[in-house]
Amino acid sequence: MKNKLSGFAVPYVVWMALVVVIPILIMAVYSVTTADFDLTGENFTRMGDYVSVFARSFNLAIIATVVCLFIGYPMAYVMAKEGPGFQRVAMALIMLPMWMNFLLRTYSWMSILENNGLLNQFFDAIHLFDLINHIFGTNIEYFQMIGTSGAVVLGMVYNYLPFMILPIYSVIVKLDHSLLEAARDLGSNNVTVFRRVILPLSLPGVLSGVTMVFVPSVSTFAISRLLGGGTHMMLGDLIEQQFLGGAYDPHLGAAIAMVMMVIVVVCMVVMNHFGEGEEQAVML
Amino acid sequence: MKKQNSLGSRLLMGLVFAFLYAPILLLIVFSFNAGESNTVWHGFSLHWYKELFQNRIIMESVYTTLLVSVLSTAIATVIGTFAAIGLYSLRRRLRSPLLTINNIPMMNADIVTGVSLCLFFAAFFQGWRAFARWFNGVQDVLELPARMTLGFVTLLIAHLVFNIPYVILNVAPKLRQMDKNLVDAAQDLGCTWMQAFWKVILPEIKPGIVSGALIAFTMSIDDFVISYFTAGSSTSTLAMTIYGMTKRRITPEINAISTLLFVVVLVLLVVNNVREARLERQAQRRAAPSAARPLSFPAKPTKSHRNFKRFGALAVAAALLVCLVVLGGQTRSQRVVNVCSWGEYIDPELIDIFEERTGIRVNYQTAESNEAMYSLLMSGGGDYDVITPSDYMIAQLIEEDMLAELNYDSIPNFELIGQQFQNLPYDPENKYTVPYAWGTVGIIYDRNKLSAEPDSWSALYDDANAGNVLLINNSRDAYGIALKYLGYSVNTTDETEIRKAHALVADAMDRGVFQGKVMDEVFQKMEGGNAAIATYYAGDYLSMAENQADYVDLGFAVPKEGSNWFVDAMCILKDSPNTDEAHEWINFMASTEASLRNMDYIWYASPNVKALEGYPAYYEQEYGEALDPEVYEIMAAPQEVLDRCEMYVSLPPETRTLYKDLWITLGI
Repeated sequence: MKNKLSGFAVPYVVWMALVVVIPILIMAVYSVTTADFDLTGENFTRMGDYVSVFARSFNLAIIATVVCLFIGYPMAYVMAKEGPGFQRVAMALIMLPMWMNFLLRTYSWMSILENNGLLNQFFDAIHLFDLINHIFGTNIEYFQMIGTSGAVVLGMVYNYLPFMILPIYSVIVKLDHSLLEAARDLGSNNVTVFRRVILPLSLPGVLSGVTMVFVPSVSTFAISRLLGGGTHMMLGDLIEQQFLGGAYDPHLGAAIAMVMMVIVVVCMVVMNHFGEGEEQAVML
Repeated sequence: MKKQNSLGSRLLMGLVFAFLYAPILLLIVFSFNAGESNTVWHGFSLHWYKELFQNRIIMESVYTTLLVSVLSTAIATVIGTFAAIGLYSLRRRLRSPLLTINNIPMMNADIVTGVSLCLFFAAFFQGWRAFARWFNGVQDVLELPARMTLGFVTLLIAHLVFNIPYVILNVAPKLRQMDKNLVDAAQDLGCTWMQAFWKVILPEIKPGIVSGALIAFTMSIDDFVISYFTAGSSTSTLAMTIYGMTKRRITPEINAISTLLFVVVLVLLVVNNVREARLERQAQRRAAPSAARPLSFPAKPTKSHRNFKRFGALAVAAALLVCLVVLGGQTRSQRVVNVCSWGEYIDPELIDIFEERTGIRVNYQTAESNEAMYSLLMSGGGDYDVITPSDYMIAQLIEEDMLAELNYDSIPNFELIGQQFQNLPYDPENKYTVPYAWGTVGIIYDRNKLSAEPDSWSALYDDANAGNVLLINNSRDAYGIALKYLGYSVNTTDETEIRKAHALVADAMDRGVFQGKVMDEVFQKMEGGNAAIATYYAGDYLSMAENQADYVDLGFAVPKEGSNWFVDAMCILKDSPNTDEAHEWINFMASTEASLRNMDYIWYASPNVKALEGYPAYYEQEYGEALDPEVYEIMAAPQEVLDRCEMYVSLPPETRTLYKDLWITLGI
């Protein structure tokens, strides 16, 4: 029976070789060649010009990940304490926005953050600007929000927050209650129980949440384009520019993509090192 | 865990949900807005829902999204299930590396997967072109098409690439849990392995299959990045359409489609949750009361096997039906022409008129800039027959042998094009092009935000306007303007001059003068009073002035230092499979009737002499009032303005590389 069933794997192995392995190999070839396909390392050395893009990408992605963690962990924690009916609804409510395309949600933020947008209109309506101008003697009519790096971080947090909440929640909710009871019986107070039992046990969820927020954040291009106004170029924008944007150079683009792949692999290795990576990934 | 939550934690949850839902709520509210604004309420109306169903671009992209999601989910579920079974009957040493490879598309950043597939398809197309040319050369029984572009098929393959791993990953744990002896037992009792598969394995792993399929569907519907790199220009998912729109003007139909999507998903979730809650209560009543298990989203293995079979049969039937629809749609032998132009650059009614008259279907696609269109063509994504690039890009395309020579016998309306627009430097013998529109680049400003009307490019780099200036998002125009301001030619190849121009722009960027880099986003920004100064094209200024908000007062000037004047012309790409249709389209667009209509809509001057001269009369007849001569002057710049302006010529490759390298360092 074994041999018969293993035959099912053959077509899929061929498929993977064709559309997963070969494309990455082609990308690798592009990254080390010039436009005439001569071998070169120039694509990688040229990346030195873009150090600031790398720095900004990491910077914003790390900030977004940390913010997500600080909102997502407590959220997951208090959700897991609720009754099953409440949890069911809360889960559904967190998943629901993900079924709407993320561009729709990001687009909505654009009209909120514009100089003439809803938030500034609201501040104007409550005379916040008058108040500030009165106190500080300034002359502001609006807060500049769109086109700032803060707006980009906001967009990332908004879009990727569920990726943080869900894996942490799924770990906390599966915690063995007898462990917590044992800890209390042994004299721990609530803080100690959390610090010594719950937190260490929920670490796999935290790690997979961090990876699942960090990887898309560091590679995004639509969010920075829509909310950052194109002046906050990130790694994703840089790659997009080389392929479908204004600066056609697939060789440089492939080299940057290779670097990004290495970053992702490092993230994965770190995560797998702490175990249970596969199971959490199933959640999404 | 203890089931008590303080007010504080409830408050936290409330805030997080408010944060998650406020933007969605706004979309919904403004979908009922009578006005076009997303920020100002004009009263209740269902107008945008009506418009939505008439908007061909949005409806087609919704159809594409659903089709690719359903198809890829159905195929991925079948392939993934069998692959998982196959992989799990392999020895561990063989299985582990294969599973690692299987995880790659799931774990990798979307953009890396998208880019690698894009390169893969481009390489395949190149190989195919070489093969087809050779094949067509050695025999003439069968003519293979030499040109292949990204489209629905590549989009589907890309979705399968990331969907199958999700199915496998969901089915695998169920296979691991399954007792291996069950299958042996079934076979001992006389089952064939086929029967064993249907009666033993499948029911065991069913929950994994269902959740795998659901997750695959979710990923498909939410995907943007991978689709963006693999769908090409002719196929567009809803996300890609929205992304394209955010670069121009977002029509409120998008709010309407968001609302509909949201409501559908909400209803599905509510139904699912109510049903699950009922099933769980039943189960609880039957079994001894135990701690209720929190739900795992969204399906639970509580359905009976018969239900599953019915579900399976339904899924297969649905998939088949969809396949038939697709095949039916593709075998329809309608004549088509794929046109690529800029946003807001045609009166959409002209497309309808042309389709009605000729029976040729027009796939009208837009590109953001000349450079972006060139990238798309090079990466195999541009499924175009007719393109409308600007002068300097035409010269470059001719140089690179990408354009087909036109057959002017089938374009009789070329006669109507003014002499001054023929045989221009980009196409000296006029073998490849028919001019479409022309105009100047100038400063667009909001009088309500400035103390004086600018007449010099210096306003763009002035700290007084910090945070209120929009930089044009293409290197040729941005540096061209800077060069003009510095008193150089826009076509200079002198590296120091170009570097000086770059330094001027980069310095202003560092000082925070620019609010952003924009192309067609400029419409929304300027009309809504979100910026004070922008540089853009004369024709587009007139549409902005037409649509400006009450508190905005736009003006236009061609600065004293001079500017660029441009011609955009229609050309046909080499290897285009629809040359006859393309010629018909070009001839139609060059006609006086179409030119007049188009001028009236896009506000760009036409090179058709009769249309250009006859426009004021046309306007008077249409609207019952005389055309403001100032408007006409902005539209069709008079000779003394043109004397200040220079036309772009194609730059040598070294200069192009310099432009590209400098441009990309801006804003990093």
